[in-house]
Amino acid sequence: METSMQANKEKIDVRKREVGKISSIINKLGVYVLVIALMILGTIISPKFLTASNFMNIIQAVSLLGMVAAGVSFITYSGNFVDMSIPCIMAFSGMIAVDTLRYGIVVSIVCGLLTGSAIGLINGIVVGKLKANPIIWTLSVAFVGNGFMRWFYSGKQIYPDVKGGAAADVFINLSRTDVFGRIPLIVIVMITFMVLGQFVMTKTKFGKQVKLIGSSYEVAKMTGINVNKVVCGAFILSALATSIAGIFLTSLAKTGAFYNGEGYDFNAVTAIVIGGMTLNGGRGDVVGVLGGVLVIGLLSNVMTLIGINTFSQSIVKGIIFIAVVGINARSLRKLGRDDA
Amino acid sequence: MLDRLESLEGMMHNMDKKKLLNKLDYYRIYIIFAIVFILMSLFAPNFLNVFNIVNILKGMSLNAMVAVGFTVVMICGQLDLSIGSNLTLGAMVVIALQPILGWWPSLAVAMIAGSFVGAVNGFLVAKAKIHSFIVTLGTMTIVQGLIFLLSKGSALSVNDFTLADWLEMPKFGFLPPRVIITVSIVLMFFVLIKFTKFGKGFYLVGGNKETAWLAGLNTDLYLILAFILSGLTAALGGALLAMSISSAVPTLGTSSQMVVIAAVIIGGTSMAGGTGDIFRSMIAVIMLVTLFNGLMCCGAGYEVQIFASGLVLAAVVLGESYALYQQDKVKGQRPNLMAELKKGALQ
Repeated sequence: METSMQANKEKIDVRKREVGKISSIINKLGVYVLVIALMILGTIISPKFLTASNFMNIIQAVSLLGMVAAGVSFITYSGNFVDMSIPCIMAFSGMIAVDTLRYGIVVSIVCGLLTGSAIGLINGIVVGKLKANPIIWTLSVAFVGNGFMRWFYSGKQIYPDVKGGAAADVFINLSRTDVFGRIPLIVIVMITFMVLGQFVMTKTKFGKQVKLIGSSYEVAKMTGINVNKVVCGAFILSALATSIAGIFLTSLAKTGAFYNGEGYDFNAVTAIVIGGMTLNGGRGDVVGVLGGVLVIGLLSNVMTLIGINTFSQSIVKGIIFIAVVGINARSLRKLGRDDA
Repeated sequence: MLDRLESLEGMMHNMDKKKLLNKLDYYRIYIIFAIVFILMSLFAPNFLNVFNIVNILKGMSLNAMVAVGFTVVMICGQLDLSIGSNLTLGAMVVIALQPILGWWPSLAVAMIAGSFVGAVNGFLVAKAKIHSFIVTLGTMTIVQGLIFLLSKGSALSVNDFTLADWLEMPKFGFLPPRVIITVSIVLMFFVLIKFTKFGKGFYLVGGNKETAWLAGLNTDLYLILAFILSGLTAALGGALLAMSISSAVPTLGTSSQMVVIAAVIIGGTSMAGGTGDIFRSMIAVIMLVTLFNGLMCCGAGYEVQIFASGLVLAAVVLGESYALYQQDKVKGQRPNLMAELKKGALQ
């Protein structure tokens, strides 16, 4: 009787351990399973896939998204979901940069960055100190900013070569510069952001404070962390990264317009959440986010190689998005680490 | 003794103030609406006449219908980003199927399609326990892709204008049937959600899911029903609009989504769940449409309309969170003791 009970117990234990194993593998490797699977799929489908130039294309296509995602991941990490004013920040900083080009390239870029950071600061104060709902607040900031830009520039686009003079060429070439011969500047900037982001998130005091706030707001507050300041810092950091991406985007498109950056908000959420961060905060890291960004790039590349049109691509993307997040949430629940 | 009494009076006074503030918060949408309406009547040319008022009512009927389901989802403490694409789906299905099935069967198909998307949303949120923001973001992309895939990105229209004429032709003097239908459906759902035992369950689920479960409510079912309702009303709203203009475009829902989200929040539904009602959402939609219309009468373009509605939304969110912040500050304090401390304990 006793032995059988023991055997039963062991059986249960073994099963639990096995479930735990699979779940923890999914949990550890996470999004890179998908990255590897997509690479294998691409290699099978087309000989053009496994070339250096194709890879450079993929990375270049998602480099702006990567910059945005690296910054915004701090907001998600702190449990504040996402910044819905990303497109507004990108467009606004780009337009201001173009508008101030006549004072020189340095002034223009600094003004662009300041504009973005100012929006981030406002978001940070309202969400951090007044505890407004982050989605709703940043959404209303996006409306106000979008409306303001359309009104201020009366719905027109502005062109750097018209506004700028000598600095215009530098501005336009910003996103077309190659470093070390063949690696584009935007890729270098994106990778720098990822490395910096990972370092700040896992190794510094600020990163640990953000993690604690994301994991448990009350505990973080009781510990004596200046919660308002840290959340505000996360929003400013994110806005800074976003506005750098916005300036690059404007330079790439050769136009400053209110619709620049449309869609980057949802794509950034997709990358961040596929990359293993949960919207509750305090989980995941920037390496995972990089994986999420790569998945988005690889996915559209592979689907284009297969010959799927854009509309079907968005359907596939949506399905994969929900499925990945579902599997991730399930494995977390199995491991007993999910509080939702 | 006298001091005590005084401080007690102070407490009562404080409570009165709190009650008044709560009431003010409850009725704020009516106040905002009145202010907007009066300002527009005073300053906007050609604003205050029957023709224009009917125009405003026509303009609100799409968004008021969509806001019904969205409000219920928000009451449950969830978010539904797929309303815009659901609305477009309803409109496109009605117009695409009309030549084959006729108006009423295709309307039924559109409503079923919307409910199906809502059911998928609800199932993934309630049973698979994925965050509603993610689920509905995903289904939004999927449905939008499906619509573009099936319509090849072009607008659809039908040649049968009889129903459109009937829906737009004024009855009882000035009200077109489309407005009457919309308002009566909105009121029906308002009564159902606010005053029946079944409907009050939504508030309970949104306010505290665990308590609702302990009280014996099937919380998962309530969540799924909320999302189904959201899909249904979005598709119905889109279908009604499409029927009244006999055509539909695949980008119909994009601007609507923003207006509905803004209106529901301005109307006093909080994203934390458990508060808000459908009637105030409808008033908020009317308020926003009045604002748009009035600004248009003044000669302002689309950009000013976005700007203005964004400002109203931002102001409301800011005011709400500032009030909560103030409340948080004095949370757990006893006002009479604080008053005593201030008065003289420190001397």
